Amino acid sequence: MTRGGGWRSFAVLLILLTLHFYVRPRLGTPRYAPDFIAIGVLLFALRARPGQAAITGLFAGLLTDALTPAKFGAGMLANSVVGYLAAWGRSVFFADNLLVTGGFFAVGTWLRNLLVLLASGTPMGQLWLEAGVWSTLQALSTAVVGVVLAMVLRGWLDLRIRE
Amino acid sequence: MSASYRPSHNSPFGPDRYSGGRDTVLFLLSVIVATTFLLGPPRWGEAVASTIRGTVLVPFLWLQAQAEAGRDLRARFVAVEAQRDSAAWDAQTIPTLRAENDRLRSLLRMTERIAVSYRPAEVMRQTQITDGRTLVVNAGSRRGIRPFDPVVSPDGLVGTVLTVDRATSVVMTWANPEFRVSAATEDGSVLGLVAAAETGSNNEPLLELRGVPYRDTVPTGTLVVTTGLGGIYPQGVRIGSVVGVAREQEGWERIYMVRPAVNLGTLGHVLLLGREEVAAAAMQAAERAAQRPQGVPRPVAADSTPAPRRRRPVPAADSTVPPRPADSAAPPRPADSAPRATAPATPVVTP
Repeated sequence: MTRGGGWRSFAVLLILLTLHFYVRPRLGTPRYAPDFIAIGVLLFALRARPGQAAITGLFAGLLTDALTPAKFGAGMLANSVVGYLAAWGRSVFFADNLLVTGGFFAVGTWLRNLLVLLASGTPMGQLWLEAGVWSTLQALSTAVVGVVLAMVLRGWLDLRIRE
Repeated sequence: MSASYRPSHNSPFGPDRYSGGRDTVLFLLSVIVATTFLLGPPRWGEAVASTIRGTVLVPFLWLQAQAEAGRDLRARFVAVEAQRDSAAWDAQTIPTLRAENDRLRSLLRMTERIAVSYRPAEVMRQTQITDGRTLVVNAGSRRGIRPFDPVVSPDGLVGTVLTVDRATSVVMTWANPEFRVSAATEDGSVLGLVAAAETGSNNEPLLELRGVPYRDTVPTGTLVVTTGLGGIYPQGVRIGSVVGVAREQEGWERIYMVRPAVNLGTLGHVLLLGREEVAAAAMQAAERAAQRPQGVPRPVAADSTPAPRRRRPVPAADSTVPPRPADSAAPPRPADSAPRATAPATPVVTP
């Protein structure tokens, strides 16, 4: 990533953080409202190296853990792993297709939630409900918003996404 | 495969965006840092979280507070107006009740009741899937919030303040595995300890009423309230209602499932109470219990007590009944434990 590209990514993360705190509370139930922090990590992973994406995930997790400190570190771990895997997987497997990018956002968000649940020591019964219902709904809403944002920002972030 | 990246001959996976050494080191570093916080002492995480909430996140939390305040403004206005009308109607009888209460308290030689102040706050919901075990509220040390202040909502008990920053606080809710509160059934006949259940039937989040002696049964639907023991939570706050027996240890104790009164998923507004006033009120109650005048019975005990179990029915319009001579009236109940009307309860277990 070039220096200019780095600043653009940083600006996009800042905008997404603002959307996360100002727009998301107005988008309905928080349990399945789109997660702009997850979108930020995954958008960054679309164009960064796996190591950089892991560090970005670590800082994103630090922010979410600071606001949900029931099990501090769970968000950091989950976002780091997802950031790393997303950047690695994107460069190896994914085509520059709109639907695939949507799936990329959905799976990334769902996997992040699953890792948070596991790292938080969630009881098994509750884990199935959270992962099966609420995480899935949140992953879908995040994917929709993520694809829209990726289309809007593709020129600025040099993303190659074909419709 | 993406065509936007230059292939590399150094990596077995193709593009040079995937590389071995540096990325792996950064990834492992991230995992080590996260795992250290995850497995380390909770105070490390609390210190870092508090610092981040008090610095980097201040403008964002301010934005969220504005967004939460503006959300569903119209619907909330209508609901608040309806509540205000109900409260205004109920308030019509307050002067009569207050006079009656003062008269009864003076008959029992009781001191003035300590008023507990409260500060309202908005819940700022987070997207992390474990949101609910802790909640962030937009009231902090600037508004006099302190750690261990009890948190309630109009429906009942929410939890207690865990950490306090200048403008925000983190609340440990009843869903947190470390949450405990001394509890009793509404009539005070059964005491126990309430904690978060591991998992409820249908995976709904439930609580457990633990430490109930095996000889005592608690019917389904019985309201469980706080006892005020410990000086953290005020007495008489609704915790939930009993939905059945979770498990039992033969001849020793029974553990009951309790459906919480407060739905954390829809909670938007809470009240933070003054802990010192709550503690003073608890102290006062304890002193009152110690100095209970002769002739005033102790609270009705559990099934094991030979005293009559059924409470005498309370007239619907109690305050409108003219005062009777003290010797002919039913024995007064201890202070702060006046019963509310409850739905008929059905026993779930009969030993």
